[in-house]
Amino acid sequence: MSAREKLLHIPKIRNGIVIDHIPAGAGIRIVEIIRAYPGLDAIVITLGLNYASNKIGSKDMIKLQDHDLPAEVAEHISLVTPGVTIKRVVEYQVDKKLVLRPPREIVSLGRCRNPNCITNTERGVTTRFRAIDDRSSKFRCAFCERVFRIRELEFVLP
Amino acid sequence: MKKDLISANELSAEDLLFYLSLAAKAEEIPPREKLELLRGKLLMLMFFEPSTRTKNSFEAAMRRLGGDVMGFTGTASTSVKKGETFLDTVLTIERYVDIMVIRHPQEGAARLAAESSSLPVINAGDGTNQHPTQTLLDLYTIFKCFGRITDLKICLAGDLKYSRTVYSLLRTLMLFGGNEFVLASPEALRVPDYLKWDEQGHRQSFVETDDLQAAVEHCDLVYMTRIQRERFPDPLEYEKVKGVFRLQASMLKNVRSHFKVLHPLPRVDEIDTDIDGTPHAGYFDQVYNGMIMRQGILLHLLGAKI
Repeated sequence: MSAREKLLHIPKIRNGIVIDHIPAGAGIRIVEIIRAYPGLDAIVITLGLNYASNKIGSKDMIKLQDHDLPAEVAEHISLVTPGVTIKRVVEYQVDKKLVLRPPREIVSLGRCRNPNCITNTERGVTTRFRAIDDRSSKFRCAFCERVFRIRELEFVLP
Repeated sequence: MKKDLISANELSAEDLLFYLSLAAKAEEIPPREKLELLRGKLLMLMFFEPSTRTKNSFEAAMRRLGGDVMGFTGTASTSVKKGETFLDTVLTIERYVDIMVIRHPQEGAARLAAESSSLPVINAGDGTNQHPTQTLLDLYTIFKCFGRITDLKICLAGDLKYSRTVYSLLRTLMLFGGNEFVLASPEALRVPDYLKWDEQGHRQSFVETDDLQAAVEHCDLVYMTRIQRERFPDPLEYEKVKGVFRLQASMLKNVRSHFKVLHPLPRVDEIDTDIDGTPHAGYFDQVYNGMIMRQGILLHLLGAKI
């Protein structure tokens, strides 16, 4: 694909955020997460699905025009689709780039999958999960102490 | 800063030894002196589900330290019945007492109480998760029987898959050097694989067997647990293993002279009563050690100097 064709497929943004290398199919879920946060429901978002990618075969891509990505939203995305790339664009140039990795601790975003965990019946408890391995792929519930793989955790929208 | 006892998982080898020395000190104090140590202190036993043994043990421990006890069992007579949340119950009761012991059918209940209350909280069992005072009293019993908790050959027998007691005991004993484990259970109730890794990520080697008699002859002690009928979808299968995992005096003929049989109790028929009168029976002493260990814990969490 030439640079010109690529331009036609994915309009460039002047300022904002590009979320790249999203595994194909996960883009819609990420847009849902972004739009669920206060203040982000009305911003201009472009979503592209199923682009060819040298790195991961097929990918989705999201662009937020004239808006930054708050840290808590980035953390939420890192849990649902770890490994996506976030690029900050300033005047059409990539100013900053980072690959999202899951945090060491997940506070209030996760719901414990153990139905008998007290956090699932008691009102208003802030859930906490701590990573038990170096790659942050397994987390232990701070309350019931059960261990879950990151993909087994259920994340709740704010 | 207030102290709690919520999970054996967060106790280091040093912490465990500290609790053992605490119990040993508590055991040496003459009964009359003991009665002065927690005079004026009030303990609340919040048992959201019944556990007579644990409740009585805490109550005896506190009363023999001169303290007072109040409490409830079940939720029938509490405001929980009216829809009060668990936390509201905790935050109400903390206005009355100095320390709380909580047993609850849900995992994480004691942790939530400890994080929300300014009082010391002791977990007396949260669902299938933790029962740290049981773990500590088991270790104290082993320590009293052998003078050490290292370099022992330990047989864990019965239901090794679902027993919270076995999980915690195995994990804490693995923190100490030189212990060897023989895991005797029916095939369907073996220790889950993830429990075979120590804190440093090393896989521990275990002997796994379904031959209980051979296992006890090889070991210094056996820790028996009850095999529950409901773990077996096929009742016939249960009947088969039930007979095999029943310890009788005749099976102890060739064990070492210092060999001990321990059990968290209550037993049903996995330890025959013909063992009760032998020097190998350690389970009723274990009950006494439980009260002593709980005295040590109460003294420590309430800041009493001993």
